[in-house]
Amino acid sequence: MNSRNSDFVPADDPLFNRVLSMLDIAVLERADEANEFRLRGLPPEWWRQSVGLADRTALDLKQCSPFLQDYLAHAHPAWEGEPGAIEKSGPWTESDRQGGTMTLEATALSIGSRKLLLIERLGAGFQQMQAIVQRAREKMLAEEVTMKSHRKAETRLMGQLEASERTKDDALALLQYLGVAALVLDEQGSITFASERSLEILGRTAEQVIGRSWEQAFPIPEEDRVKVRHILDGGSDRRTSGPFCMEGARLSWVEMEVHRDPRHQGRQIVVLNDRTELHTLRQALNEQASFHDLVGKSPAMLRVYQLVREVARVDTTVLIEGETGTGKELIARAIHFSSARKRKPFIAANCAGLTDSILTSQLFGHKRGAFTGAVNDQQGLFEAADGGTLFLDEIGDIPPPVQTALLRVLQEKEITRLGEARPRKVDVRVVAATHHNLSEDVVRGSFRADLLYRIRIARVQLPPLRERREDIPLLAHSFLSQICTTTGKTIDGMSPDTLRLLMSHAWPGNVRELKSAMEFAVISCKGKEILPVDLPPEITGNSVASSPSVWIPLTEQDEKARLLAALSEAKGNRTEAAKRLGVSRATFYRRLVELNIPPR
Amino acid sequence: MMQKKVCMLGGFAVGKTSLVRRFVSNVFSDHYHTTIGVTVEKKNVTVGPQDVMLVLWDLYGEDEFQRVRESYLRGSSGYILVMDGTRKATLDTAISLQETAVRTIGAVPFVSIINKADVRPEWEIDEPAIERLRERGWPVLFGSAKLGQGVEELFALLATQMISAPVLPRD
Repeated sequence: MNSRNSDFVPADDPLFNRVLSMLDIAVLERADEANEFRLRGLPPEWWRQSVGLADRTALDLKQCSPFLQDYLAHAHPAWEGEPGAIEKSGPWTESDRQGGTMTLEATALSIGSRKLLLIERLGAGFQQMQAIVQRAREKMLAEEVTMKSHRKAETRLMGQLEASERTKDDALALLQYLGVAALVLDEQGSITFASERSLEILGRTAEQVIGRSWEQAFPIPEEDRVKVRHILDGGSDRRTSGPFCMEGARLSWVEMEVHRDPRHQGRQIVVLNDRTELHTLRQALNEQASFHDLVGKSPAMLRVYQLVREVARVDTTVLIEGETGTGKELIARAIHFSSARKRKPFIAANCAGLTDSILTSQLFGHKRGAFTGAVNDQQGLFEAADGGTLFLDEIGDIPPPVQTALLRVLQEKEITRLGEARPRKVDVRVVAATHHNLSEDVVRGSFRADLLYRIRIARVQLPPLRERREDIPLLAHSFLSQICTTTGKTIDGMSPDTLRLLMSHAWPGNVRELKSAMEFAVISCKGKEILPVDLPPEITGNSVASSPSVWIPLTEQDEKARLLAALSEAKGNRTEAAKRLGVSRATFYRRLVELNIPPR
Repeated sequence: MMQKKVCMLGGFAVGKTSLVRRFVSNVFSDHYHTTIGVTVEKKNVTVGPQDVMLVLWDLYGEDEFQRVRESYLRGSSGYILVMDGTRKATLDTAISLQETAVRTIGAVPFVSIINKADVRPEWEIDEPAIERLRERGWPVLFGSAKLGQGVEELFALLATQMISAPVLPRD
């Protein structure tokens, strides 16, 4: 091997050696003929300590680290004549002689024809790079741990969510199964949850309810709305109220239970308990004895109550037919107060015994100066009943000109006051009553057929008292109670004989006659019990104990005699005579006219 | 004595250095110290009647910062693929490295180990994934450098395979 090469300038050797020493690089040169490496120049300190190889001594590969041995065992392009090629081994770590470690890196290169091997101990720069990689990897590991923790938390939360959804589904299924009608209201009173049963009661879909205020969602009348508002504003944890009428797709009666939501202050849980069936049963129970002011629980009257309810639902004209004293006006009132017009006026007018001009004025009103005595503008009963119900009693008695005017009102829904030309719109439901057989009146020509058809769209036929005798004790006790309250008398009841007499009487004046008889009896009664002797003589005298259920209609002569007798007893006072007979004053007048009994 | 170069391959922080240190020096440190470059260790083992010196090349872990130099693999008689059971991504790295090894040094013997068996409940590498590795023909061991579990078996198995494997020239 040559000791010096022209590629090295001898003058620079001292400087060159010092630089290599400071850079911690050992320079070895490879002999051409053998894979033998000799140190060139001054080796750095670490080399002297770990290898101890002196200048120009051949490197013993067996003493080298396995990494370097492996590196030198392979061919390198840098030594194969590839110009400018420099090939680095990459760092490796090995033990030093002080028991520590050092990281080295070999570089193969050629300068001219000389093949050099530089072995560098990597120092501060390498350690810095290692620290950066270390930190980067630690950060990546930490992030992986965080990500894993997030994934675990997510999985746990998803599981909880799923479980919560399952619980919610179960709760909903349970609510559905149990038929619980429950709603949840938020702090603003908006509905945030509604069970299917509650939607059924409200007659709404979930879309129509969720997110809406209960005020919009609850189909209840205004007076109930005020009560619901009150109960929702209440402070206690549990409040109940009702029943309220829910006018949903189906009319229902509900009791409301309001609970404070234990999980969220301000939210409220509303449970609707459907009490419709109970309400209906209670109503039916009440109606066993009475309906509005009507008293009676006979099958005939129960049918009448049902008919009244049905008629009340529609807004047509109704004709009530029944004998005198059967309670036609009470039926008219019941229809009105069961109908949607119940908050509007109910006006009753008796059409019997009035001239056509008076009746026309009464019904349609008049303008000042329309006739003598018309000193002011006056509205008629149709206008007074606007929005409500006008009850026209004894409609069979109205004169033909009024029939024509009435027909026009029913057709056009407008009236014209006497003396005026301008018609006025009215919204009135007409309920008419008669004891006549109007069909026969039509045949006789005393009643307009077209008016009959117009007023008889719906009809209620009231049974006479003789056809519902089972109601007599109930009615008698009811009247007794009323009369005692009015008069201040204390009467405990009636003797069996009294009751038997009442049951066997024919009652041509029907309920009105019974009421008069009871008034008579209360006045006459001296003890705590009404005895037969207290009853009016026509009852005690006319009772047919042997055949109580047989009613023989009076002949015209008989009735005429009865009317005259009553007039005589009442000393010509027709009101008193009518009362004695148990008929209305109007009926009494009418019968006087019909039987040609001249007024005294 | 017969020498066999064995490369330790795997993603970073899977426990390659820990397995080597447990095997060579029977020590373990919980502190993670990343390997840059290569550290070479030697250990003699006996396979049947034969003593073999395993020259263990503990290579740096492969990740986005460092790619394994194929030149390090040259001359290897076998290699060990290390995975971290708690990190599923290390399985993909092992598969990628195995493909590199086959491409570089051919079908030399290798053994894979899923490390960190001491925290088995936290493993992300599940049974179906392990089954898929076995279906690829991988010998899969479970071990823990921390506990020393499966370490001796790992190197013994590879040594046995290397001794019994026919020496096939690389094409």
